Amino acid sequence: MHLKTLLLFGLLWTSLSVFSQTKSDSLLVHVQFQFDGANLKLNSTYISKQNDTLTFDKIKMYLSKPQLIYKNDLMDEKENPYHLIDIEKPKSQQFSINNTSKKKITGLKFNIGVDSLASVSGAMEGALDATNGMYWAWQSGFINFKIEGKSSSCLTRKNKFQFHVGGYSEPYYAMREMSIIFNEKSIKNNEITIQVDLAKLFSEIRLSETNAIMIPGKEAMKIADIAKNMFSVQ
Amino acid sequence: MKKLLFILTLSLLVFGGFSFKQIYFTPLYFEIPKGFPKPVYDFKNNPLTEEGFQLGRNLFYDPILSRDNTISCASCHLQQTGFTHVDHDLSHGIEGRIGTRNSMTLMNLAWSKTFMWDGGVNHLDVQAIHPITSEVEMDETLENVVSKLQRSEKYQHLFQDAFGTKKITGQLTLKAISQFVVMLTTSNSKYDKVLRKEEQFTDMEQKGYAVFKRNCASCHQEPLFTNDGFENNGLSIDTTLNDVGRMRITQKETDRQKFKVPTLRNVQFTFPYMHDGRFETLNEVIKHYNSGIEKSATLSPKLQQPMLLSDDERTELLAFLKTLTDKEFLFNPRFSFPR
Ligand code: HEC
Ligand code: HEC
Repeated sequence: MHLKTLLLFGLLWTSLSVFSQTKSDSLLVHVQFQFDGANLKLNSTYISKQNDTLTFDKIKMYLSKPQLIYKNDLMDEKENPYHLIDIEKPKSQQFSINNTSKKKITGLKFNIGVDSLASVSGAMEGALDATNGMYWAWQSGFINFKIEGKSSSCLTRKNKFQFHVGGYSEPYYAMREMSIIFNEKSIKNNEITIQVDLAKLFSEIRLSETNAIMIPGKEAMKIADIAKNMFSVQ
Repeated sequence: MKKLLFILTLSLLVFGGFSFKQIYFTPLYFEIPKGFPKPVYDFKNNPLTEEGFQLGRNLFYDPILSRDNTISCASCHLQQTGFTHVDHDLSHGIEGRIGTRNSMTLMNLAWSKTFMWDGGVNHLDVQAIHPITSEVEMDETLENVVSKLQRSEKYQHLFQDAFGTKKITGQLTLKAISQFVVMLTTSNSKYDKVLRKEEQFTDMEQKGYAVFKRNCASCHQEPLFTNDGFENNGLSIDTTLNDVGRMRITQKETDRQKFKVPTLRNVQFTFPYMHDGRFETLNEVIKHYNSGIEKSATLSPKLQQPMLLSDDERTELLAFLKTLTDKEFLFNPRFSFPR
């Protein structure tokens, strides 16, 4: 076949498959940052279970490779597997997952962070483009999430706390797999909301002692474990 | 016989298809010199083209990559000295700020698995993020570099030529820089010509080659003159810097004071030597290996026994090291400042 015809065909096919995708074959996932059940706002003051008074300046995190869980089945989202959720960019706080199956969705699986393969594959595009400021310079690898703010409990410069959690190689592989099981009622009009409640993280961290994690290692692993507690679906 | 690696892939089809107008890329072949192993760099992920190479070359020599537009990659990586800095032990960056390490040479990096003195960078394509964002080097953000490039008509054209798009991204910027850096192959030194039977060593060089093979080649392995590994070669720790090298990355005590084994190609011109630039001359380096090795828990087993080189052997070794100079590379106009 002639090359041009082939290309034309390919293009037609791709555009068809893009346009034919109606709302109902996908699940729209919203991500909502909270503190103690209330919507979290930057620069508002919160008090943690540890009695630390704190405000947030920055929250950015990768949620990747989402999968829908059916009764006895899993479904991969292959087309667009990396999402950088940024509290300052409302548009970034939602993504959709293909759902072509008729089966009942019983849950959602995803990774908090970026897998090690992507971390060793050089310069990436889209959500993984290094211009997003989520790639470490002196030591390769993605920062799975950044949480920054201030607390009077931190005896640091300008009372800042900074958690940059990442690490792609064992024994400090900081990506975490997350599965949330829910019932049908959680899905309304093919939409669902994941709550990310930062109070659940800061209830486990004493900011006077732990306030700066900027490298992969044991401490990052611990924060990555605790971070799983933040996620829920109502 | 010359082994050639075929590099062009589907990019032409993809980009050509989308715009429905013919865009031509000139594929570049990455030549593997005779006797060299298979490159580590994955060219399929970043197909080399003449346009991509020229874009990368422009970026490499352009201070637009630094915050105040004063420092380019070439400020610390000069072609005539094997693409390293020569006048300082520790590299100097923006506003004269001094880094904590000596600049490295940029040669034959297509064969390198990890980058930087501690190997912290795992892929050539992401290496440039380090100098661009380092406070003591260029002190810029990649995001801002991209928007500066996007505002430049020159770069819009160069990106269009190289990648078929005027939309500049971090990914394309990094890949373009790699296309230049990965092409910096040096393989035409006297040593290479002797191996190819085009020239002959002098008696002294020949003896020096034997000394080298006995004492140095286990780490500075031929033909790349590095084993691409990390070793502690017995340097005493500089307590003002306390650089633990590879351990900073792996956090393993067994990696304390291990550094990337650097290539010795063009070593005659790449002074000062070592990660902190502590030695000015090759004589000092040889003296270090011969009688200055400091014992420590992580000292390489290859350096436990004293070398006991005679004065003659040291002179011969020096003569051999000078045969690694490749003038064609150091003065190749293709690698120089783009006119
Ligand atoms: C201020 C000086 C400075 C500037 C500017 C600079 N570098 Fe470097 N370069 C260094 C130093 C110092 C090292 C070693 C750093 C380390 O080990 O931490 C290095 C290491 C490297 C390496 C690793 C080589 C190896 O064998 O592992 C590459 C590749 C490199 N630089 C490319 C670049 C590129 C491309 C640019 C421009 C985007 C650039 N450098 C700008 C000083 C500089
Ligand atoms: C055990 C492995 C090992 C052996 C054997 C060894 N080297 Fe090295 N060499 C290294 C390492 C590692 C470095 C970098 C060390 C640093 O900067 O901390 C180095 C650095 C050098 C440098 C500096 C290069 C630069 O660009 O800064 C020269 C020159 C050198 N070696 C020459 C020699 C010679 C000559 C011999 C034999 C007499 C030799 N080496 C034997 C591991 C070795």
